[in-house]
Formats: sequence, C-alpha cells, structure tokens
Amino acid sequence: MNGINLDLFQFEFDLTWMSFFMDAENRFYARYGGREDSGPESHLNRESLTRVMNQVLGLHEKHQVQTGRHEPSGRSRRTPEQIPPMRAMIAKRKNKCIHCHDVKVATLRDLRRGNRLRREMVFTYPTPANLGIAIDPQRQDHVEAVRPGTPATRAGIRRGDRIISADGQRVLTLADFSRVLERTPTQATLPLTLQRDGQSITTRLRLSAGWRRTPDPSWRESLHVVGPGCGLWGRRLNAKERRRLKLPARKLALKVTFIWGPHTRRAGIRVGDVIVRLDNVDGDLTIKQFNAQPMLNNTWGDTIPIVLRRKGREMTVKMTFPRQPVD
Amino acid sequence: MSRTALLAATMLATTATSLLAEKIPAQKVDGRIDWVYDYQRGRSLAKQTGKPMFVVFRCER
Repeated sequence: MNGINLDLFQFEFDLTWMSFFMDAENRFYARYGGREDSGPESHLNRESLTRVMNQVLGLHEKHQVQTGRHEPSGRSRRTPEQIPPMRAMIAKRKNKCIHCHDVKVATLRDLRRGNRLRREMVFTYPTPANLGIAIDPQRQDHVEAVRPGTPATRAGIRRGDRIISADGQRVLTLADFSRVLERTPTQATLPLTLQRDGQSITTRLRLSAGWRRTPDPSWRESLHVVGPGCGLWGRRLNAKERRRLKLPARKLALKVTFIWGPHTRRAGIRVGDVIVRLDNVDGDLTIKQFNAQPMLNNTWGDTIPIVLRRKGREMTVKMTFPRQPVD
Repeated sequence: MSRTALLAATMLATTATSLLAEKIPAQKVDGRIDWVYDYQRGRSLAKQTGKPMFVVFRCER
C-alpha cells in the first residue's frame, strides 16, 4: 500500500484481496471483492467476476462511470505514510512494506491515541447481510434470500429481486453495495431501487443502532486494536481428544500451543493446558474466535476467570489484561 | 501477510460486443495476464488503448 492514494482507493483494509474497475481518469465502474464472516471467498468466484467484467465492458463503451455522491472526488491525495502511527509501525520492518491491514490498524490506533476510538469502528464496510439480505454469490446484484425479522423484510425485499441502486449508487456487486453501506450513518433510512418482474420498485431500509455489527468478526486483522487479547495461540480439540478427556462436543476445548503474552504467563497458563471456559463463554470456538472474545467484550486492565484442564484436573486462573498500549 | 501488491491491468477485450476490441487486438486467453505493477503506468496504458482498468490489491498473510 506504500504511496497509494487512500482518498481514491477506499475499501475494507481487513481484506486480503480487493479489486476495482476504472477508467483512465480515476473514475469507477464497479468494485469487486468483500466477504461475509463465513469465509474470505464467500463472494469471490469465476462466475461473478466474469459477469461483472462483461457488465463493465458494456458500461465502458457508453462511458457510464459511477457518479453518485458516494464516489471519491479523486481531487485530494492522502497516503498510508501520512497516518501518524504508521511510521513507527513500519520502522522495524526490513522491507518497509505497508500491508492492507496496516492502513486500518494505523487508522484505529490514531483514533485510540486521541481517545476517539469506539469498538464499533472495527466493523467497517458492512455487507447487505447486516440488513438481512443474502446476496447471490454468482449474480451479485440479485437477492438470494431474505432473513426474517430484519430491515430487509420490513422493507418488503424478496428473494429474486434485482438490486439496481442503493442511495442512488449503481449496484453490480456485493462490494458496490458495501461501499454505500460504509458511508451510511448508524441511524439512517437507505433508499433502494429494485427490479421485480420487470417492474422498478423503490423501497427504504430503516437502520437503527448496532446494524453494522456482525456475529463473528474474528477474521479481522485490526480487531486487536479495539480490545485486549489473551496472548496465546492454540487449537480446537478433535472428537477423539474430547472423548479421552471426557469433554463434551460443541463446548469450548482449546489446547494451548503457544504463549506470547506476559499477562498470560502471569495468569499461570501453560502450553498444553486445555481451556474450557473464558469468563462466561464456554461455547465451541476456533482459536481466532476465542481470541476475539476479550477484544470485543473486555477492557484493558480487566481481570477475568479462565477455566482450564491440566493433567486431568480442572482449575480456574485469573487473567489481568495489560493496560491500554500507548500509541 | 508477506507482501502487498498493487496490480493494474488493462482488461481482456474478449467480448465481441466491445467496439474497442476491433481496433486493439485482444490479449490472447492463455491463462496468463500481463499485469502492470505501477498504477500510473496502467493509467497511461488505459488512455493509450482506450480500455478500462482492472485494478487489484492483493495481500498475502
């Protein structure tokens, strides 16, 4: 990301892959990329990419670039190197390479330094799933399903609807929709134009507090900025190991394989321990989901109980998270 | 993540509907793409050829 104009290339920096269709004048036809919590390639596939490429070629012939108010002006220029914490972050690196997630980490750390960081800020570029709309992974301007009891059902959106635009912005892909959602306030009414049975329909999605949050943001590299971590790595026990230790299926059972946190060692946790409860959480989690728990729910300096199994015995230790890092 | 790269490439003019494809020979579809690793060079190429750009950010970790 070194030297990239962040005022032009705005996207979810927790991603590992993102793309743009543009003309030579820094204007956009469409965006392609993005993901759901379920997986990094939830909406990356050959069919949808080929489809949007063909759509873009048609738009290019007619010079139909995106013109909505959510498009970057392209007149200003801001680079990752200008985000204050970035210099210190890359100083120790041999290649001085700035990665995508560094941009978001540096941005959040800058907010944290100014006491302006709120935990919800980690939930950038929400997808239509947050509104109850499952986007068809192959035809990404089509609604594959609508979840009951959501803003989407209340707005009358139906399976099979084709999304034409969101807040006046053309939608060809999940990333196009996500771009509009990123720029939509926490409490808002979002106009949506749909096509159903050849008819154009306009509806409004009413969004209220908390709509940006997703159930499992553990894939987000930037999560560690918003809260403390457990300072350990591990793996989920398999069925055979659980039977041997008489641990139930579908409950937390993580074997500690690596410890890097001084606070983890101070708590008395050792490599080989099996963690079966973290504070009030005992559901079956991956190591990433486990590490995300305190980042989402605890504060620097908090003390929480952790229940573990060691040599057949169950014991409870107390972990005190470090103070908030100084950026 | 071991590296981040900005890749810019003029799009494959493989569709028969593209008027530009008549003037500019389409890139051979052989599984290879000639990526341009410099955005400004990609823009110049897009201006010169009249093709749109497919700009990719790729991070490996």
